[in-house]
Amino acid sequence: MTLHVAPAELALEPAPLLSVTGVSRFYGARIGCTDVSFDLWPGEVLGIVGESGSGKSTLLRCLAGIDKPDEGEVLFRGGAEPLDIYSVSEQERRRLMRTAWGIVHQNPRDGLRMDVTAGGNVGERLMDRGDRHYGQIRERALDWLQRVEIAGGRIDDRPRQFSGGMQQRLQIARVLVSEPRLVFMDEPTGGLDVSVQARLLDLLRVLVRDLGLAAIIVTHDLAVARLLTDRLMVMKDGRVVEQGLTDQVLDDPHHAYTQLLTSAVLSV
Amino acid sequence: MTTMIQVENVAKTFTLHNQGGARLPVFDNVNFSVEAGEALVLAGASGAGKSSLLRILYGNYRPTAGSIHITHAGRPVDIVAAVPRTVLDIRRRTLGFVSQFLRVIPRVSALDIVRDPLLARGASPEEASTRAKAMLARLNLPERLWTLAPATFSGGEQQRVNIARSFVDPSPIMLIDEPTASLDAANRDVVVELIAEARTAGSAIVGIFHDEAVREHVATRYLDITSFRKAA
Repeated sequence: MTLHVAPAELALEPAPLLSVTGVSRFYGARIGCTDVSFDLWPGEVLGIVGESGSGKSTLLRCLAGIDKPDEGEVLFRGGAEPLDIYSVSEQERRRLMRTAWGIVHQNPRDGLRMDVTAGGNVGERLMDRGDRHYGQIRERALDWLQRVEIAGGRIDDRPRQFSGGMQQRLQIARVLVSEPRLVFMDEPTGGLDVSVQARLLDLLRVLVRDLGLAAIIVTHDLAVARLLTDRLMVMKDGRVVEQGLTDQVLDDPHHAYTQLLTSAVLSV
Repeated sequence: MTTMIQVENVAKTFTLHNQGGARLPVFDNVNFSVEAGEALVLAGASGAGKSSLLRILYGNYRPTAGSIHITHAGRPVDIVAAVPRTVLDIRRRTLGFVSQFLRVIPRVSALDIVRDPLLARGASPEEASTRAKAMLARLNLPERLWTLAPATFSGGEQQRVNIARSFVDPSPIMLIDEPTASLDAANRDVVVELIAEARTAGSAIVGIFHDEAVREHVATRYLDITSFRKAA
């Protein structure tokens, strides 16, 4: 009996959804992030952790098509052909971001249209993707408001009449209604009360699992990373210093910086 | 006999970078295997590294050297070298870990916690509910608690939810760390029965049990890990 099987042979899917190679972003002489490479597979949730200024948000912006890296390549396999997201036209990239990707911003005001009703905020994404039947759009918007635990009676209210936690849930509904393959989240629970965070985290956990989404989540909260992610990348000074399965990295950290991070919290 | 776990030349040393680079050698040159239908009980004094070894088998701690082949979907896969999604797939289908602690997720009911592994392996919601309820009843968890989130449960109640989750659909390999620590005698006996049933059905068991009576009921073989202790 042969004992050695390369892990790659056990691949559950034929190819990664996102392949990142050598991505770097500089601000003058200062490093934003440098030489980041990884593959993300369908249904995988990757966490990026590190303290403020470690480059995690810079990296997320490069990956999400918002900020072009100075070096490296971001390859997305959403359709028949792999797509280098920074070599296609602006128009093509925007189409991709509207249909196959979703971005959940830390501040819901950056992801919502504050002067449009809750139903309109959710329905707009469906219209972007070509849905035209008003009744069906409203019905799906209503369904999604309920999935994120916003009462259907609030469908015609505007986000500014909502609490911070409700605004964040509305933003999540707006992003997920168009059934993206890949979702980027920047500190999705930042700025919320602990009790509201718990509710949002459980909601995200269930949605990610039920929809089989791939997601990249930036957070400085290791408990959030533990609950939501399969894999972790730890960043310091713009570089990835350690990566692996989330529980490996948190329970048996090898790099000095990761050991410092995990020992600085009371309990994760 | 089917070899389910094959451990070869495993060593583990913790290096604490923020405490002057202190090195804590745990063990060296660990070699053993576990067959289907066996219950291997790890022996050795407190601090010998029994829990560390169990966590290494689960892919939670990373050994400093060596390989651990887990028979997954009929093929041996080295969990030490496997990529994260392969490790997760091994855990989902082949490798279960039973600890004495329940990781409580806000707002998720006891019943949903126990149903979860069945659903993840493709059972219908009805079947998952029926089997989950039967298991909670067998572990004497009062029915009024089933729909509540376990955050407010007692230690023993949380532990029984955790055991129900682990044994509702026993994995081909079960790693068990002190499952009876805060249980009364009646529930302890149920756990011993559950372990024996899983083993008879073909699971390979590796466990740590401080309770001597439990240990003797469960074990088919002992492994004293003190012999792997690294000379410091």
